[in-house]
Amino acid sequence: MSLPSLEAWAAEETLGQRLQSKGVSRREFLEFCGKLGIVLGLGSAAGPRLAQALQALKRPSVIWIQLQECTGCVESVLRSAEPTIGNLLLEMVSLDYSHTLMAAAGHHAEAALQQAMKANQGKYILVVTGSVPLADGGIYTTIGGRTAKAVLEEAAEGAAAIVAVGACAHWGSVQAARPNPTGAVGVAEVIKDKPVINVTGCPPIGDVVTATLAHFLTFGALPATDSDGRPLFAYGKRIHDQCPRRAHFDAGQYVEVFDDENARKGWCLYHVGCKGPATFSPCPIFQWNGGTSWPIGAGHPCIGCTERNFWDTMTPFYDRLPDVGGFGVERTVDILGAALAIGAAAGVTAHAVATGIHQVRERRKLPVLPPDAGKE
Amino acid sequence: MSGTREAKLSLAHKVPPPTGAYRWVYLWEWPIRIMHWLAVAGILTLVVTGLYIGRPYFMTGGEASSHFLMGRVRFAHFTAAAVLVMTGIVRGYWLFMGNRYERLRALFPLRRRDWVNLVRMVKFYLMIRPERAPHYLGHNPLQQLSYTALYAITGVMVLSGFALYGQSDPGGFIYSATNWIGPLLGGMPNVRFVHHALTWAFLIFVPIHVYLAIRADHLERTGVISSIVSGGRFVPVDHHFVDE
Ligand code: SF4
Repeated sequence: MSLPSLEAWAAEETLGQRLQSKGVSRREFLEFCGKLGIVLGLGSAAGPRLAQALQALKRPSVIWIQLQECTGCVESVLRSAEPTIGNLLLEMVSLDYSHTLMAAAGHHAEAALQQAMKANQGKYILVVTGSVPLADGGIYTTIGGRTAKAVLEEAAEGAAAIVAVGACAHWGSVQAARPNPTGAVGVAEVIKDKPVINVTGCPPIGDVVTATLAHFLTFGALPATDSDGRPLFAYGKRIHDQCPRRAHFDAGQYVEVFDDENARKGWCLYHVGCKGPATFSPCPIFQWNGGTSWPIGAGHPCIGCTERNFWDTMTPFYDRLPDVGGFGVERTVDILGAALAIGAAAGVTAHAVATGIHQVRERRKLPVLPPDAGKE
Repeated sequence: MSGTREAKLSLAHKVPPPTGAYRWVYLWEWPIRIMHWLAVAGILTLVVTGLYIGRPYFMTGGEASSHFLMGRVRFAHFTAAAVLVMTGIVRGYWLFMGNRYERLRALFPLRRRDWVNLVRMVKFYLMIRPERAPHYLGHNPLQQLSYTALYAITGVMVLSGFALYGQSDPGGFIYSATNWIGPLLGGMPNVRFVHHALTWAFLIFVPIHVYLAIRADHLERTGVISSIVSGGRFVPVDHHFVDE
């Protein structure tokens, strides 16, 4: 299977014809559609319907812009040793602009972007990776002399749908972590007049990106999302609730330090800071690198990279509680709490003794009364 | 021992032994008493199980399939939480249905007089002029403040607890009712932190509360502790109380 194609489509060519000419058999295509139906949570029975819709597509145009980011998301979407949903789908679309993948550079690349936007005005899918730095007039990321914000706003203008891929495009990711020196924000904070879907993660799983695109191509609408704009088919459940180590969690069997006997037995990583209980992501099901493995599968606790602000709130990665305030409060709070509780117990004891002493002293100060004075 | 027998608590005066000159005042009606003890059971269970969930301090060995330790601990935690929430609902209802010592008004020191007495209560506990301490039948201003603060802390615990619990069933009622809390605090880990840290408030409150109850019972000899069992206490007929 080839890498995503940047070859131009013939004007009236349908996807069915194109795949045929590229040597993709009908069987392969149907199989792909069946898998896609499962990924989208529609069941494999939706396959034929997906196949029908996808086959008839004419030159779906995707423009992929990359702002303040590391290209890791592109790598994630491309990773694969064998044909997968990921590159099959990218094969199907006309990736009109992606500066990591395209051959052109410099002015030629920018010209290609302008041309693609004009030719597909109102029809293209805009994929965005990377955050938008807003501080100091947006000077921290410029492409062709223009700020990331300007590039994004222009590209969003004519987009039929906007897919924000990765934690950067979702909320800013590492560059937006405290103190966020470049004023990085996600796409949805800049583009307010159009729905933005957040395929989040650092990076997200490639299959989720392509399945989201396929959903739009098939149904003409973006998939249903949660309150944070993430597609529910992928981010509808916590890692903790799909985790193969969950039996160990429930049984009370935890890895205490990396490489201990419990780690070798594959016990739950809760104790070493697993953020699976607070993280919505399909990692345990989709897995990574063509289903090879995934972090918890490989013995590393989840760091919660699909959740907003995870660099601030999910750190330290190897401890249970967040480092609120940034000086090790998560451990301090238990020490402080225990000290106060012990202090309270000690305090009441001391107070009881003091009360007794005070009582005796006060009583001694009373005038000595005749023996029968108290009787009435 | 002669002298005035006004509403004064004195560390120096030995309270006379009970004679006929006592009367029984009814303070806490049965819903309050039952809720108090259910809350005690709930809070104790929640603290013990909560500390385990926060940092599992012992483990099981062997096959995972033959154990369900964390599962049971979490079940106990959620059950106790349900009991505590139930007591909260009844207590809330009783803020409007209860007697003058149990009503909404009784939660806050509202009048000027109460603030003066608050200072006197503090001085009483610090043993500075203890004989000037005001004498209340129901809760004194210091109690009002601390119990109301505990209600508020319990409220935060319940809300943050449900926010954490709701995550297991996104789309469910609890999730949709509490999913504003995460963003408000800047993420679910912060909710977990708040829920964890406030556990200590209960561990600090309980010994002080128990101690002061025993101390009051000992000094006043009016059956203060018994009042949360029987509902009332015996007070000398000629004592006048601030909130009577
Ligand atoms: S490894 Fe993490 S996600 Fe898996 S059961 Fe343990 S805590 Fe939950």
